[in-house]
Amino acid sequence: MKPLSYVRAGTAREAIDAFVAAGDGARYIAGGTNLYDLMKLGIERPAHLIDIADLEGADRIDTDGDRLFFGGAALMANVAEDPVVSRDYLVLAESLSKAASQQLRNMATVGGNLLQRTRCPYFRNGVNGTYPCNKREPGSGCAALGGLDRSQAVLGASEACNAVSPGDWPVALMAMDATIELQGRDGTRVIPISELYRPPSQTPHLEFTIGREEIVTGIAVPKTAAGRNSVYLKVRDRESYAFALVSAAVALEMDGDRVGQAHVALGGVATVPWRARAAEAFLRGRTLDREGALAAATAAFADARAGRHNAFKIELGARTLADALITAGSKSQ
Amino acid sequence: MPNSQGKHRLETTRRRVLKAGTIISLSGAMLPTTGLAQQAGPQPSPENGVTVPVSFRVNGRPAALDIDARASLLDLLRERLGLVGAKKGCDHGQCGACTVHMNGRRIASCLTMAAKAHGRDVTTIEGIAGADGLHPMQQAFIDHDALQCGYCTPGQIMAAIACVKEGHATTPEQIKEYMSGNICRCGAYVGIVAAIEQAAPQIERS
Amino acid sequence: MTPSRNADRPRIDAHEKVLGRALYAADQPFPGLLHAMTVPATIAKGQILSIDTAAAVAVPGVVRVFTHGDFAQIRTTPAARGAYGQPGKGYQPMIGPQVRHRGEPVALVVAETLEAAVEGAEAVTVRYAEEPFSAEMDDSLATPEPEPVSQQASGDAEAAFANAAHIVDVEYRHPQQHHNPIELISTTAAFEDGTLRIYEGTQSAAAFAGGLAGMMGMEPQALRGVSPYTGGGFGQKNGVQEQSVLVASAALLLRRPVKLVMPRGQLFHTASYRPHSRHRVRLAADGDGRLLAGIYETVQQNSRYDGFASDHGANPPRLYGYGAWLGRERIVRVDTQTPGHQRAPHEHPASYATECAIDELAGALGMDPVALRLANDTQRDPLTGKPFSSRHLAACLTRGAALFGWDRWTSEPGALVAANGDRIGLGVACGSYKAAMTPSVTTLRLSANGQCRIATSGHEMGQGLRSVIAAELIEVLGVDPGKLDIRIGDTGHAPQHLTAGSWGAGSAAPAARAAALKLREELAQLTGAALTDEPVHAQLARTRRPFLEVSVDTLPLGKDRQAIEQLRRGMPVVTGPEYPDFLAFSWIAHFAEVHVEPSTRRVRVRRVVSVADCGRVMNRRTAESQVRGGVVWGIGAALRETAESDPRFGGVLNNDLAEYVVPVNADIGAIDVDFIDEPDNRLNISGVKGLGEVAMVGAAAAIVNAVHHATGKRIRHLPIRIEDLL
Repeated sequence: MKPLSYVRAGTAREAIDAFVAAGDGARYIAGGTNLYDLMKLGIERPAHLIDIADLEGADRIDTDGDRLFFGGAALMANVAEDPVVSRDYLVLAESLSKAASQQLRNMATVGGNLLQRTRCPYFRNGVNGTYPCNKREPGSGCAALGGLDRSQAVLGASEACNAVSPGDWPVALMAMDATIELQGRDGTRVIPISELYRPPSQTPHLEFTIGREEIVTGIAVPKTAAGRNSVYLKVRDRESYAFALVSAAVALEMDGDRVGQAHVALGGVATVPWRARAAEAFLRGRTLDREGALAAATAAFADARAGRHNAFKIELGARTLADALITAGSKSQ
Repeated sequence: MPNSQGKHRLETTRRRVLKAGTIISLSGAMLPTTGLAQQAGPQPSPENGVTVPVSFRVNGRPAALDIDARASLLDLLRERLGLVGAKKGCDHGQCGACTVHMNGRRIASCLTMAAKAHGRDVTTIEGIAGADGLHPMQQAFIDHDALQCGYCTPGQIMAAIACVKEGHATTPEQIKEYMSGNICRCGAYVGIVAAIEQAAPQIERS
Repeated sequence: MTPSRNADRPRIDAHEKVLGRALYAADQPFPGLLHAMTVPATIAKGQILSIDTAAAVAVPGVVRVFTHGDFAQIRTTPAARGAYGQPGKGYQPMIGPQVRHRGEPVALVVAETLEAAVEGAEAVTVRYAEEPFSAEMDDSLATPEPEPVSQQASGDAEAAFANAAHIVDVEYRHPQQHHNPIELISTTAAFEDGTLRIYEGTQSAAAFAGGLAGMMGMEPQALRGVSPYTGGGFGQKNGVQEQSVLVASAALLLRRPVKLVMPRGQLFHTASYRPHSRHRVRLAADGDGRLLAGIYETVQQNSRYDGFASDHGANPPRLYGYGAWLGRERIVRVDTQTPGHQRAPHEHPASYATECAIDELAGALGMDPVALRLANDTQRDPLTGKPFSSRHLAACLTRGAALFGWDRWTSEPGALVAANGDRIGLGVACGSYKAAMTPSVTTLRLSANGQCRIATSGHEMGQGLRSVIAAELIEVLGVDPGKLDIRIGDTGHAPQHLTAGSWGAGSAAPAARAAALKLREELAQLTGAALTDEPVHAQLARTRRPFLEVSVDTLPLGKDRQAIEQLRRGMPVVTGPEYPDFLAFSWIAHFAEVHVEPSTRRVRVRRVVSVADCGRVMNRRTAESQVRGGVVWGIGAALRETAESDPRFGGVLNNDLAEYVVPVNADIGAIDVDFIDEPDNRLNISGVKGLGEVAMVGAAAAIVNAVHHATGKRIRHLPIRIEDLL
C-alpha cells in the first residue's frame, strides 16, 4: 500500500470539493469493508481517501412517505433491522442480514455496498501478475474462462470476463425497482438501479456507470404491497458468512390467488444483479404451484451458459428460485 | 445515530520524508496503560508515509497520536498502544478475531482504518472486566469451556457481548447465525452458544 | 496411589484467555521492534535472474531488504521445512536463486513499521526464468516414486478374495486441505540475556533451539524457543517454518528485534497442508459378514524434495479382525511446497476411505453397519498378533448407538423424512489413533505457602495440556488450581518435545504425576511419617522449609536413558503404537444425523454423538471440547474444505478464509460426547491415552455414510457439495 492522505468530509459538497482538489488517485471511502480490503491486496491503490461515512444526514432511513429512502451512508445493519423494512420488506432486510457478518454490516454502508467488486479469485489474487484478469488489468486476458470457474457467472458473461457480481442487497433492490440518487459536481441525478451496472462485454474493468467524483447519496424503493410477500433466499457453501452460490430475490403482487406482478432478481449467477423478466412474464396471471414455480424459474435461466465447473448453478438456480417463489407465494395466504 | 462526528475535520499532514531507520518521537501521544499492567509498553515507533492525527477513547481512557494513514485500527491497538488482546487472524474481515466495539457496536478492527477511530470510543477485551471481576460473558466462556487455544476468544467474547446487546441472542439458532462472523478453528462452537445463552440474561440490551 | 476418576473442572488457563492476557508469539512487546514482510514468488518453478530492491530501499521507514544473496550462509539441515528429520531432504527458500514453488519468499523487507514493510515488499521487482512444472499429481510432469513407500501384509489377502461371498472394490479421493489455525504463523526474534529468543507459535520450541541453531551455524544454547501459548497448531506448527530462519537471521544481522506475521494468503503457500490422496479399498467378506481380507492401496501427493512419509496403512488393518491384509502406499512428487501432518494426518483420510467402504460392504451384505462392525471386533492386532493394551471400541459402538437412537436406522436409504420434507440420514463410523508417548524432563517446586510451579516438556495449543498437568498435581498434591504456575513450551524452562500425534497427554500426565509422587516421597522422608490427606504444602510448612523441589525424567515404555539425551538435543523420540508386549490405540465411534433439503440439496449435520476410549479422562470438560473440535473438523472435511489449484498456474487459488470454506457457528448442530473412561494402566502411570487426533478419525466417514443414507447417493470424493447431490 502506497502512502495516502485521509480526510473526513462533513457534507457531500465538501467531499466532492475535496475529491476534485485531490485530483488523480482520489477515492471516496465509506465503510471501507471492500475498498480497504482491496487496498491490502494491492488491487486498489488510492493516494487520497475522502471519508464519506459521516456526511451530514447521510445515514437517514425514512419510511414515512410513498417510498423507502435510505441515505447512502446508512449502515447495512441498521437498514436490516429497521422496523418497517424488516416487517414489510423482508426481501430487503434478508438480503442485508444474510450478507457478510454483523461486524461488517456495522461498518459497511448501503451506498457503498452497491459498488462492491467481484470475488472472482483470479481478480482478487495475483495482483503481482500471477493470474491474468481483464478486470484488474485490461487486456491481460481472463484466467477464469476455461479455469476453475465453479463460482463464475452463467448469465451475462462475455468473452472477456465471467466474474460474478457479488452483492445481495443490489439483487433485492433490482427486484424492487429501486432508484439511486447520485450527487456530483454538477448536482444530483437519479437513475434506476438497473442503469448503475455495466455488463462486462469487452470492458470488464468498467463496472459501474457512476461518475468518478459522484457519491451515492441515497437509495429509494417504491412502496408496494409485494414487499409483504417477499423473500431473499441465499444458497452458499456454508450456512452463513459466505457469498452466494445462488440467490433469489422475490416479491409478489398477488391478485387473489393469482400472481399479478412478480418481482424477481437473481444473485450469485450473473455478472450484474440480474432481473429475471422472463420469469416475471411467465408468472403473470398464474396460480403458484411447485410445477409452475419451477417452470418460471427454468425460464429465468433459458439464456444461461455454463463453463467447466459451474453448470450446477443453472439447476441449483432454478430450484432456488422455485423455492423462493413458493415461499413468497405462501405469505399471501 | 445522527452524524455525531460531522464536526470533526480530520486531515492528514504530509511529513518530511524520513531517512530510513531514523527514529522520531510521537508528538503528543498519550498511551493508555490499560492492558499494559503486566508488561513494558512498546516504545512508540516512528510513523512513515502520510500521517493523520487520531484522538479517541480506548477502554474509557483518552489516546492521541499521529499515525500512518494506511494503518488499521487493529495495528493501531496492537502495535502502537500495546493492546494485544484483539488478534490478527486474516487481516481481511474474514475471521472475526480482531472484533472490538466502536461506539458500542462490534466491528472488525482489521478492516477499519485507524483514522476512522478519531473522535470515537473503542472498547477492547482489556476493557470489559469490571473492577469486581470478570464480565459475565467471560465467566460463561470459562464455565462452558467455550474456547480451546484461546486465540479467537477475545474476538468471540466481544462479538458475543454485542450479540446479546443487539437482541440477537434470543434462540440458539439466532446466536449461531449472529456469531458466524467469528471463526473458531478449534471448533468450540457448541460451548460458545451455551456460554451466550448463560450470560444473556445478565447483560442488558442496548 | 492409583489414578482416580477426574473431576470436571475449568480449563486451567481459561481465565488468562478470556481476559485477553495470554500472550501469543506476535503479542510480545519489544522496544525498537522492526517489522518484516516477505515478497512471495510469482512463478511456480524456475530461477531468480535479478531482484531490484532500489525502490523498496527508498521507501521511508524501510531499514533493509534481504534477498538470497544475504542468506547464502544458511544451511539446509534435517530440521529444515519438509525434511522431517531426514538428511538431504527439505527446502529452505532464499538461500539461493532457485524457486521451487509458487509463493515461496524471495525477499524479506524489514522496516520501522508494518505499513512501511508492506509498501517496501510491494516495491521489490523480481525477474525470473520460468521452468515447466507440475502442480498436482494428475499432471503429466508429476513424478510417481517407483516403489511403494510402505507396505503391510498379513496372510494371503489375494487368495481370500477368491473365496469371498461379498466383495467391495472402490476408490475414494481426498482433497488437499489446509490447517488454518486462526493464529497466523508469526516469528519474532529478539536478543535477551545474551541469547537469541525465537517467539513463534509452535508445537516444537526445541526446533528453534536445536534446529534453527544448526541452520544458522550457531550453538544450540545460543537460541531459546518460546511458545507459551500456541493459537492452534493442528500439525501446521510442528517445526521450523520457511520464514523462521529468515527472520532470525535478519535480527542477527540488524542487531534488533524483528517480527514477521505471515499473511494468511501467503501461508497457503509457505506452510504445510494435508496433501491430495487417492485410496483404493477392496474388502472381502463371507456370507455372515466376517471380514476375510482387505487390500488397501493409496497414492499421496508430495513435493519434489520432502521427506514426508505416507502412513495411511497403519490403522485400518487394526480396526477389525481381518483374516488377511495387504496394504501398499505410494507417493507422487510435484512442484509444490512440502505437505505435512494435519490433524489425524493419515488416519483421517484412511478412515474416510475404509469406513465408507465398510458402509458399502454393509449395504452389499444387507447388514446393519453397527452390527457388521461389532461382528468383526478384535482384541488382537491382525498384523502382529499382539494384544491391544486396552480396546473398548465395542462399548463405544453400543453406548453411542443407544445415545444416538440408532434403532431409527433403516436399511433402505431415503426412508426417513423430517416434518419439513428434509431427507434424514444416519451414519456411523469408527476411528483409532496410536497411543504414543515421548520422554519428558520435569522440575516441580512446591512452596510452603501453597504455590506450585512445574516446568516440563510440552506445548499448549488448545488441546488442554496445562489442564492435564494440573489434574495430576491437584489429585496427587491437593494444590489450589489458582496457585499453579505451569511452564511449558519454552526451552528456557525445560527441554521441549515436538507436541503432536496425540502424545502430549500420554507424556505430560505421567511426567507430572511422577514428579508429584516423588515430591510426596521426599516430603515423607523429611517428616519421617506417611503423609496425611491434608494438602501437601501444609505438611511441608511444618518442616519449616520454604519449598521442596524435585526433578524427574520420565521415559515411555521400551525406551532407555538415551531418549532423554535425544530430547535434550531437540530430537523427536516417539514410541507407539507397538510396545514390547502390546499395541496401544485410542478408539472412537461416531454417529451422525444429517438432514438434506429436498430441492437445493443443502446438507445440515443436525447431531453427532461420539463415544471415545482414550483411557483415563484427565478433564471431562476439556476432553469433551477436544472431541467436539475433532467432530467440527470432520464436518469441515466432509462438507466444506478443499484447496483449489489451477494446474496452469500452481498455487492455491482460494487462499483466504472467505474462499477456503471452514465451518462457522451456524454449520454446527448438537455434538454429544461420552467417554468409556477406563484407565489404561499398562501404558503409563496416569492411565491416559491420547484424544485430540482420534476425535477426528472416522467423523467425516460417519457424515458421508449419513449422506448416503439420506440420499442413496454414494459420493466418493470430498468435500460433498451441493452439485454432487442435485
